[in-house]
Amino acid sequence: MRAEIAVDYRRPAQASLGTYGHLAIFGWVLAMIMLTTDYVVLVAGALCLSVLALIYPNPFKRVLRLRWLIWMLLLIVPTIFFFGEHDSVFAGITYSSEGLAIGIQIAVRFIVLIIAIQNLTCAVDISSMAGLLERFGLHGLGFAIGVALNLLPALEISASQAWYTLKMRGGLRRQRWRGCQLLVITIITNALKRAEEVSLAAELRAFSPEKSRPFPIQQGSLDRASLGLMVLTVVVLILV
Amino acid sequence: MKFTTRELTTLAVFGVLWGIVEMSLGTVLKSLNIPFSGAVLASIGLTVAMIGRLYVPRRGSTLFIGVIATILKLFSLGGIIIGPMIGILSEALIAELVLSLAGQPRRRWFVLAGSLGVIWAMAQPFVTNPLLFGRSLVSVWLNMLDQGSRYLGIDTNAAWLIVVLMAVIHLALGTVAGLFAWNIGRELQSRTGKKPTYIPTTIEHQSKQYEG
Repeated sequence: MRAEIAVDYRRPAQASLGTYGHLAIFGWVLAMIMLTTDYVVLVAGALCLSVLALIYPNPFKRVLRLRWLIWMLLLIVPTIFFFGEHDSVFAGITYSSEGLAIGIQIAVRFIVLIIAIQNLTCAVDISSMAGLLERFGLHGLGFAIGVALNLLPALEISASQAWYTLKMRGGLRRQRWRGCQLLVITIITNALKRAEEVSLAAELRAFSPEKSRPFPIQQGSLDRASLGLMVLTVVVLILV
Repeated sequence: MKFTTRELTTLAVFGVLWGIVEMSLGTVLKSLNIPFSGAVLASIGLTVAMIGRLYVPRRGSTLFIGVIATILKLFSLGGIIIGPMIGILSEALIAELVLSLAGQPRRRWFVLAGSLGVIWAMAQPFVTNPLLFGRSLVSVWLNMLDQGSRYLGIDTNAAWLIVVLMAVIHLALGTVAGLFAWNIGRELQSRTGKKPTYIPTTIEHQSKQYEG
């Protein structure tokens, strides 16, 4: 039921893209905004945002947050006032027009990059990413990621238990440094114990990271086309 | 880089620990805009990674821990910023390079790896901002001076003093991370019944006998 709902939310273009396709789209966006300069960045940014809006549902939803806007202002404002000569005035405040132009470029790159990354991480699942990295030489990463995800909730519980136990026994009143050391040791020991159980279970099932198949990667009908688009864009932009 | 099942699970543990630190503490520190949050996060993360190195003293293990932490950070719910991801990977890579070149794990190499890894937090904006956002090096430099001036309460005219003090703070945090990782790792190994990876050579044994 849950899977059906997830499929309904996907746009046709997104459904036709696999892991390589999503990565290629991300690479294409990256090439478009990094390899262009001056006001061409604005055109490239607008084109990238249009393509992302066509592929992903609600692509801008997660970016319109106060935190991102503050980050963007922190990136742009110093450029407007500290770059180049102050040759323009707005509402009695002098600023550099050259700095403003560069600031706009930075803002466009920032927005496009953030949206592209957010959508990539929403579209590609963790096992596909692990599978991809395994194919590039990081053998056993899929297994390690699986163990890591399995450990996350158990570790959080054991860490909070260790913290409260230490607090209740007054471990942080005197010798705070030692208390912190003991807390770290307890958390890691509990985690290692759990990992020991996992590795024992895996060994009992005759699991071997060298012989195991890498995690499957999502395939899409538009993967090759998007890869081709990315390569073509990079080549054209480098030549131009 | 080929690890056994046991080594992989151990690396997963340390990767998760680094990932949890980045996902929870990282989000809090960045939201509250706490001074030197990047350096603090880097030192905690590197401490975890270097303890992991003591448990799996093989080439690539520190980098592997960093990759797991990066993937967990990438898919964390709080949304992602490309900076922390590049930061985690770079710090892990620096620590990996130092520890791999050094060979046998020693306290001094841990201190060096920690220091170099943490100081990367200071150098990272000079690499990522021009490459990713097209910012000029001058504006990054000015931003760093402005931050340093606010944190340390020194006038921006004393640029080199600000930079040196910031570098010293980063190096100190890295040194603490290295020492902490070494001590905790050794204690953990003795408590969990694992053999210490550091075996004194015969020459060191002899010199200690003379000292005694």
